[in-house]
Amino acid sequence: MTKQEVLQQIETIFHEVLNRTDFTLTEETTAKDVSGWDSLTNMTLIVRIEEKFDCKFKFREIVKFKNIGDLCDAVLTKKN
Amino acid sequence: MLFLSLSFVTLFVICFILYYWVADKYKNPLLLAASAIFAGYANWIFLLVAVIISIFTYVAGRLIERADEKRAIYLLFGSIGILVTTWISFRYSTSLIFPLGISFYTFQAIGYLTDVYWGETKAERNFVNLSLFMLFFMKFLSGPIERGGDMFAELKKSKHFDYDETVSGMKLIALGLFKKLLIANHIAPYTEGIFNSIHEVSGLQLLMTCLIYPIELYADFSGYTDIALGGARMFGIRLSPNFDRPFIAKSTADFWRRWHMSLSFWVRDYVYVPLTAEFRKLRQWGILLSLIVTFTVLGIWHGAGWTFAIYGLIQGLIICYEMKVPYVRNNLHNLVGRPVATTLLILRTYILFALSLVFFKAATIGDAFYFISHISFEAQNWKEMNIGMPDHNCVVAGVSLLVLWIFEYLNANYDLDKSFRKLPAVVRWTGYFVLVFAIFLLGKFDTENFIYIQF
Repeated sequence: MTKQEVLQQIETIFHEVLNRTDFTLTEETTAKDVSGWDSLTNMTLIVRIEEKFDCKFKFREIVKFKNIGDLCDAVLTKKN
Repeated sequence: MLFLSLSFVTLFVICFILYYWVADKYKNPLLLAASAIFAGYANWIFLLVAVIISIFTYVAGRLIERADEKRAIYLLFGSIGILVTTWISFRYSTSLIFPLGISFYTFQAIGYLTDVYWGETKAERNFVNLSLFMLFFMKFLSGPIERGGDMFAELKKSKHFDYDETVSGMKLIALGLFKKLLIANHIAPYTEGIFNSIHEVSGLQLLMTCLIYPIELYADFSGYTDIALGGARMFGIRLSPNFDRPFIAKSTADFWRRWHMSLSFWVRDYVYVPLTAEFRKLRQWGILLSLIVTFTVLGIWHGAGWTFAIYGLIQGLIICYEMKVPYVRNNLHNLVGRPVATTLLILRTYILFALSLVFFKAATIGDAFYFISHISFEAQNWKEMNIGMPDHNCVVAGVSLLVLWIFEYLNANYDLDKSFRKLPAVVRWTGYFVLVFAIFLLGKFDTENFIYIQF
């Protein structure tokens, strides 16, 4: 799986959870750039990503994600 | 020692002069000495408790950092257990005196030790810095609740006298005095009077008190915070912001990102996020449960008694509701247009907060329910709307509030400070004189206490 593929699947999850499709994700995207991605929706996104890629993040990993790129890297590390 | 007292002003001025006179390495010890005087001035036990908790936190931080993963978690939970038990003993015991500031520095200590455990910040080696983080007199009484990493960085900066920083600090203090003396103190005796006699007053008076109290609390607490931040800035130390125009929030969730931010971000990072991570398999229910627990903790932080727990619980329940029913807000824009929808949402958020504050302010739960259930538009005389405030107070507080809101709006949308500095000196100094004269002529100096000193 390439990083681009992970990114695209994560974007689909974001669109579903946040109920909007009017934004695209890049590796540099942070919570500030996406309206609705806040402390209330973050864990729902995480759990959907964990289920999609069949992996489990540690609590400290989740807190340390600074942008979408970090999230993709974490998924790739768990999968490979 | 209180901000609005001669003893404090004396301490501040002496400390300020000495601070920029002594060499860099003596600056923090000087601030610590002033902080010790400040904390122990009213009662030496306040200082003793704060020092013991600081020493404990210093040692615990070092031990947690050095321990291996398994021992570190025991040390962390053990230390938090001891801190919380100490805090609760003072908080809930009627026979012990309540040490001022303990809720603020205990929460700071818990956050700091957790950060050390998480590797977010290094355990502080310098005991003076750690003690200043806990005791610094500009934030000792009522916060902001600082983070170790931020504050240590501020304390380690080299500090030379900076004219612009000092002036900007003094402006913040003036703003704080404006809020406290021209708004909060003009309203406080009358809301206090109503809350003390809820069974004797009319429904209309209850309604007006409920609607006015959030403004008083904001003017009081954000006024205190401005003085704290301004004073600290004069020593070259930047403290965390606590308020970001809360009354323009369009939802309760948004409100809590703007009101007492240092506390709400604290519970978010150290209670809510770990809980949601733990409960994430429960999906939405996990988040709702975490919200309820987190806001109840936020409520209980304010003190013993069910009233504060319910105050917090209400916030949690409203946010849960907002999460589950987002379409109300989303469709309102299409239904009535953006400006009307925004106004309605702001009013709704304000009114819900005002109603929940009845629990915050009332002596018992029974009183709070009585208060809310007897709110009405009925009155024998429409004059009762002023809740007994003389016309003078209504005009001063009302006009000041309007001036404050215009100022806050401009300040948020334009670089007001920069534009102001570009004005000719005559205009600037006229502005300063008008403000100082307004504060001295119209300010009400009889209440020295700030509301949040009790927490």
